[in-house]
Amino acid sequence: MKARDAIDVLARHRGDAVAVCALGMAANEWWAATKSEESFYMHGAMGFAASFALGLALSLPRVPVWLINADGSLCMNLGCLLTEASQAASNLKHFVVANGVYQTVGGLPMVNDGRADYAAIARAAGFPRARTIEALDDLERQLPAIAAEDGPSFTVLRVEPEAGFLRTPPMTYEGPEMKYRFGRALERRFGIEVFGPQGY
Amino acid sequence: MDVSARIHQQLTKCGIKIAASLPDDWVAPLIERIAADNQIRHVRVAREAEAIAICSGAFFGGVRSAALMGATGLLTCTGELATLNLRHQIPVFLIVSQRGSIDDHRIYQEVQGRRTLPLLQALDFPYHIVDRPDEVNSIPDAFETCRMQKRPFVLFLTRRLVKGEGTA
Repeated sequence: MKARDAIDVLARHRGDAVAVCALGMAANEWWAATKSEESFYMHGAMGFAASFALGLALSLPRVPVWLINADGSLCMNLGCLLTEASQAASNLKHFVVANGVYQTVGGLPMVNDGRADYAAIARAAGFPRARTIEALDDLERQLPAIAAEDGPSFTVLRVEPEAGFLRTPPMTYEGPEMKYRFGRALERRFGIEVFGPQGY
Repeated sequence: MDVSARIHQQLTKCGIKIAASLPDDWVAPLIERIAADNQIRHVRVAREAEAIAICSGAFFGGVRSAALMGATGLLTCTGELATLNLRHQIPVFLIVSQRGSIDDHRIYQEVQGRRTLPLLQALDFPYHIVDRPDEVNSIPDAFETCRMQKRPFVLFLTRRLVKGEGTA
């Protein structure tokens, strides 16, 4: 399956989940599929979208949080799996779009050439539920149950690498504007206070 | 009241509900004190930048948080502090041991002592050094300054504060 198609399926099944996207392909494709302002799109800190999503999930324990990660970002800090497993946030779902390459920079091969079994690594780190899905129809079939199950769960979406650069543009808001749009969206939806009375 | 209890009391006064940490030996007693507080969700991390990102995510959940680490750990996450927190103007409050001071006779901390403050100045990250127990009461002001400045803010704890007078 293609990354764009897999992300389209995730987007259709996300329900009322708040999403956190790793930078690059995951963020760009999620924006293209959803145009969602109730999603946080990492611009940097590669490897730490998982930690950001964990902090969000712990602070909003009744809100489903979906992490749209990518294999390049996951491998930047595999230790995040230990932290996620230890915190056992029941509202957190971790998806990894895995194509075995650094797609955003033109499809250069990743470390270990795609041989790693990330679901097995997650299980060994302590995730109670981890699996790999390789076909789009399997993803369509399994996703309702994945969305309904308790977290933390870990789902690898094995997708085909694509030749060269993907041309999907990033979301159109600059760093601080994205912060305020995301924070204000969560304030409106959940009645929380992200920014104080003076706006900071 | 010992200094860890004083700092813990001030963090409670700040309204902190999540603390993410990776210890060095100077901040370890404070971390264990926080870990024992069931009003604060304590997250032990595998790398200091995780603590930064956890606190950043918690910010958007409307929850106040702090990241605790040693000075060496602070150096490991300057990239994430720049590309996440400076990039999006997300405040993150760090509590860090000020290693490499003149009373810290550990050779492997020497570079941290010379270069950490100039590095923070280069990145335009504000910081505040707490050196004596009576200065611990400044923590709520430091926390509010962090929120207002919308960037990483480092609260340094000196050796004299956490270990008392004398060298080691």
